[in-house]
Amino acid sequence: MRHRALGSACILVLALGPLGFGQAAAQGPGGQGRGSQNAGQGLPAAPAAAGAQPAGARGAAPAAPAKPTPRRSDGKPMLGTTPGEPALWLPAGGGGERFVNADTADPSPDKMRISELPIQPWARALLDYRLENQLEPHTRCKPSGGPRQFLTPYGVEIVEVPDLKQIIIMDLGGPHTYRVIYMDGRPHPADLQPTYYGHSTGKWDGDTLVIDTVGFNEKFWIDRQGTPHTEKLHMTERLTRTDYNTIKYVVTIDDPGAYTKPWTSGFNFRWTANSELFEYVCQDNNYAPELMVGAQEFVDRTSKIVP
Amino acid sequence: MRHPVLGFVVMIAAASLLILPLSAHHEITAKFDPAKTTRLQGIVTYVDWANPHVHIFMNVGTGASMANWAVELESVIDLQKAKYTRDTVKPGDSLTVEGIAARDGSRQVWGNTVTLAGKRIFNVPEETVNRAPGGPTPRWPDGKPRLGPAPTTTGLAATGYWARPSMTILAENGTNIRANKNGLLANIADAPKVAPFQPWAKDLFELRQRNRLADDPQYLYCLPPGGPRQFQEAYGVQFVEDKDHQRIFVFVGGVDHNWRLIYLDGREQVGQIRGDADNPLYYGRAVAKWEGDALVVDTKGFNEKFWFSNGGLPHTDKLRLIERFTRVDANTLKYEVNIDDTGAYTRSWSSGWNLQWVAGEELPAFYCQDNRP
Repeated sequence: MRHRALGSACILVLALGPLGFGQAAAQGPGGQGRGSQNAGQGLPAAPAAAGAQPAGARGAAPAAPAKPTPRRSDGKPMLGTTPGEPALWLPAGGGGERFVNADTADPSPDKMRISELPIQPWARALLDYRLENQLEPHTRCKPSGGPRQFLTPYGVEIVEVPDLKQIIIMDLGGPHTYRVIYMDGRPHPADLQPTYYGHSTGKWDGDTLVIDTVGFNEKFWIDRQGTPHTEKLHMTERLTRTDYNTIKYVVTIDDPGAYTKPWTSGFNFRWTANSELFEYVCQDNNYAPELMVGAQEFVDRTSKIVP
Repeated sequence: MRHPVLGFVVMIAAASLLILPLSAHHEITAKFDPAKTTRLQGIVTYVDWANPHVHIFMNVGTGASMANWAVELESVIDLQKAKYTRDTVKPGDSLTVEGIAARDGSRQVWGNTVTLAGKRIFNVPEETVNRAPGGPTPRWPDGKPRLGPAPTTTGLAATGYWARPSMTILAENGTNIRANKNGLLANIADAPKVAPFQPWAKDLFELRQRNRLADDPQYLYCLPPGGPRQFQEAYGVQFVEDKDHQRIFVFVGGVDHNWRLIYLDGREQVGQIRGDADNPLYYGRAVAKWEGDALVVDTKGFNEKFWFSNGGLPHTDKLRLIERFTRVDANTLKYEVNIDDTGAYTRSWSSGWNLQWVAGEELPAFYCQDNRP
């Protein structure tokens, strides 16, 4: 079993190549090879610019200056793709991108480091546990909202549907799902039940799309290393397409359940041309029933009922 | 022999007031035995409020004979729609449960009736389906039918989706096969009539039926419902027509809230850019064009890891589908499908059913994976 898992990981690493090992490990469901072809199917060749660079140079600016921000007919920045020019948004730093940096990273005005978080003691203890154990729900095919949605190695497409007054974010990694942002001015419902993506409303503030989300459940991590949150999380995301190749993504975490005050961090998305939505299904390698009956003791589960 | 007009009236009356059974999203008789009726009284120890099915754990009995039972209920989606929440019962509450016990003798029961302090709870009412036709088909400015909602005049986003299929099994046109909403045949002797099976495919279909669909990959592994099955799901489908990019998204309410892509941009039916090469897919590669008021979708390149219909009809990677979608009125979507799979069937064959518009509601966001580890 171990060997099969290792083999599967190796295939992923080889195929992902310049995108890095961290994402491979985080992308798969931790499975043992059943139907691994789907995990391999979507493996994109790296974009030409990044492909020639060593892993550490991901996110470096392209050689030519970026074109200006494309705009829609109403003047707002286009967050989706220009028809005929398919592309995806990937984290600028690839699989190494973080929403919150390790303390070994250089200080940055745009990104928190772990020790700078205004975190409550219980949440810090939980974060330390997660950093040590890395049992992330995303790797077990759970939808994962917040910044985590944008931190997968396959990226996302942002689809603007003016006819429906919605912006839809299509996930490539994970369980092949999507998140809806309502642009029609509606309020959050009063009787919201917690969900993976929460309830999102958006509006334009100049050239910035501001998304307000509440109603998260606690069954996923908001980023790759396990920065904690609770159901009290109120998240504000600000997306600004600063040039053709870049969205600046700034997130304010207001969660009195886990932090002593609101805090803000973020990262950039990188335009990845000549790429488009494809079918990746995390469950392709789903061993959940075996996990549920306790065959693999490292996965903690309260109920061992199938399914 | 039958009076043609009277026959028509009777059919409409029957069709317009169809009572659906309880909406368990998969076949509960696979796990529970309807003959093993059980009554339990106990104290709640834990509430697992998750899709696909909620579980309430409770201690039954006292002293040395006390044991912890799992009571399985409908999905979170259905219970919330009936205004129940994860706080409806709490640890320490005393419950009475009447239901049916697990076939394997484990301490699990499907809860038909749950009572808290003399009051029935977790009662999901049966759904009444009204198949009356709607107004005229809403259209885009270019005259094509809209597969999604028409814009509202209120300023709010338009919502609505398709659900409540008029047939819940994939059976060849002209057959009259009775099956429940999961595609479990009322009479197993009907199995050979369902489709022009090759012998191995008929045997496999019968095996899946005799196992009460317990091997369903959608149920065990939350694998996507490719092919006609996505139009038979309990939680419906939504079309998002992205006119700018000449593509249509099909969103699936249940299973794992997937998306399927249908291209109308004239591309070839080959692997996607930087994508899947020639690997077979759950949703296949779909290209489409409009023929009059019908969207005609041609899909091939399927894998064999999923069931492409309720009830478990087999297919192979030779499967090619031609699907026709016609919104015949505002409330009715006619779905027609031709199945060409020389690996599993002796000839190509056709089926189809109607879907009903669910106006003003959001597509449910159901995640089968929710209660997995």
